[in-house]
Amino acid sequence: MPSPPQSPHAGLAIDSPRSRLAPRARARLAAATVAGRLAATASRIAGRGSGASIKGRVMMTLDPAALGKLLANKRIAMVSGTNGKTTTTHFLAAAVRASLGPEAKRMVHNADGANLHHGIASALSENPGADIAILETDERVVADVIRLGRPELLVLLNFSRDQLDRHHEIKALGRSWRNALADAGADGPIVVANADEPLIVWAAQTAREVVWVNTATTWTQDSSLCPNCGSSLVHEQPRETAGHGGRWYCTGCELAQPAGDYEVRDGQIIDTERRVWDPQLNVPGGFNVSNAACALAAAVLMGVDADTAFAGMRTVSAPAGRFATARFGATTARLLLAKNPAGWAEALPLAQTSTVVLAIDSAAADGRDVSWLWDVEYEQLAGRTVIATGPRAQDLAVRLSHADVDYRCVPDLAAALSGHSEPVDVIATYTPFQRLRKMGGV
Amino acid sequence: MSNIPAPGDRVEIVLVYQSLLGIYGDRGNATVLMKRLAWRGYDPVLTVVEPGDPLPDTGRVYLLGGGEDAAQISAVRALAIDGGLHRAVDRGAAVFAVCAGYQIVGKSFTVGERDEVIEGLGLLDVTTTRGPVRAVGEMLTRWKGASGEQQWISGFENHGGYTRLGPDAVPFAEVEVGIGNCDDGTEGAVAGTVIGTYPHGPVLARNPALADHVLELGLGRTLEPLVRPEVDELRRQRLAAVRRLAR
Ligand SMILES: [Zn+2]
Repeated sequence: MPSPPQSPHAGLAIDSPRSRLAPRARARLAAATVAGRLAATASRIAGRGSGASIKGRVMMTLDPAALGKLLANKRIAMVSGTNGKTTTTHFLAAAVRASLGPEAKRMVHNADGANLHHGIASALSENPGADIAILETDERVVADVIRLGRPELLVLLNFSRDQLDRHHEIKALGRSWRNALADAGADGPIVVANADEPLIVWAAQTAREVVWVNTATTWTQDSSLCPNCGSSLVHEQPRETAGHGGRWYCTGCELAQPAGDYEVRDGQIIDTERRVWDPQLNVPGGFNVSNAACALAAAVLMGVDADTAFAGMRTVSAPAGRFATARFGATTARLLLAKNPAGWAEALPLAQTSTVVLAIDSAAADGRDVSWLWDVEYEQLAGRTVIATGPRAQDLAVRLSHADVDYRCVPDLAAALSGHSEPVDVIATYTPFQRLRKMGGV
Repeated sequence: MSNIPAPGDRVEIVLVYQSLLGIYGDRGNATVLMKRLAWRGYDPVLTVVEPGDPLPDTGRVYLLGGGEDAAQISAVRALAIDGGLHRAVDRGAAVFAVCAGYQIVGKSFTVGERDEVIEGLGLLDVTTTRGPVRAVGEMLTRWKGASGEQQWISGFENHGGYTRLGPDAVPFAEVEVGIGNCDDGTEGAVAGTVIGTYPHGPVLARNPALADHVLELGLGRTLEPLVRPEVDELRRQRLAAVRRLAR
């Protein structure tokens, strides 16, 4: 039984809680914020989503320095990586919230997952008095936020191929992080980094300080070559009885998996004092234990004690709709998000219902190229009934026919979800996932 | 190639360096060939070869796919040392190379901001250099199928290199929508049983006539037609979509 936290928010005290902007700079930011809020309201009324991104866009048009001003004089922790950003940021925010107790309003968090410049600016402007910001940050924005906001913490989760029609080389993103951390030097963030991911380790090497987390990651298909020297990487197989990932090293240079300060093993988290924690999370999947381990490391660095951090993280159940259970008429459906082969490798084993709905699109946010369908092992669904839905359902249908999986192709989302007497698990790419959230009210 | 396989016979498909040249679902081309053989009663075997392991000399079809610069360099070096791909072509096996794989089987290609020239395997008389804009998007080409009948080929291209054909290479197809080799109206290249092409998708899932053509090249025989309504429907949708996008 975790012991109650002693001093709830002593660790989160900071010297200069309020930002000190010059009056004119503040006036311009205030005007931009009002205009942005109006635009967001108009967007909401027009049914175009939460309006967070539009609000941020209007603000930054009227005040190009808005993001920098909003980030000023805050304690900032940011979370990035290909998969798990939203859930990990929710974990960290919940841990900090638990620690703040009645002062929870001191914290701001872009909880809806709007993680580009505009979305971050919009979230920050919602609570201008906050002095702690927990920010999910898109991979492409990490370098800018390091430069503009001088975050004290950066959590780097993982790196895998995603939307290659836009990011042509995943290594280029890693290089941008590495350069930003080098440029920031002694003013840069402490990095909490996934030691299982070669590209993350390479990117974090230039940070002033790194806390390593051995996350038991099993996806190695996007790290066959050393990001440092180009030689082959060797991934040693994990011991069969243990639920932790293998170790890796480069055959041509010194790059190798660092020893973890934190470690995930058999679904449990081992902290820096070698205490073993049963996370007892309310979101499923081994990868979420890894995400929680990274969030724990970050929370402890921010001054949250581990008991309080876990108490907070256990309150997270459906971050931005992920893993949420929704009703679609008479159908009960659990919503899972998978955006790329690594994400599908995590999500597919979670789908346990006899009928599984898979929703595929190729809008800009999904990646316009669906060739990744052939990198996902849909073969594991053989024996169950799959309903292929979404605008690219037919691409999935052909993939499933080549995987010997029984399927029905029902491109319309509402039709695919209707009339199931038993609960169904739904795995969706980004765009249909957001539509399903809206349809299901989660 | 000696002994022409019949239904029931073992047919080996070789997926070359999946970890380096498999970034765009290129494994799917192997999956498609395996299934189209199995559906016809053959006994297909997939061999996935990684650098350091020798290429088998028993394959009927060798598949190469897309990869980033560093992976492409590693792959071409390992293949040059191995020599197995040249032996395969000499035996009459088929080589189907997509995107970075296509560039690798050419004479040379360039990588990086400094345009470092890397020597290719020389199976196709093509050279690749960095193009003015990256070619990214749905594409559509016209291919004269084995029977001489025109076929539409649909796929998704994503490449920064632009490829020019030498006198010994024949274009694989003509571009209707997209960039193709170097925005000169040609797409891919062919020499004997070697085909290089840009679209992935994977391209053989969307274009069953091409898949069967690759198999027929490797097997040295014609194949019975297959009826796969789900593939026909995907093909109909993708052809309509690429024409809509091109408008
Ligand atoms: Zn190395």
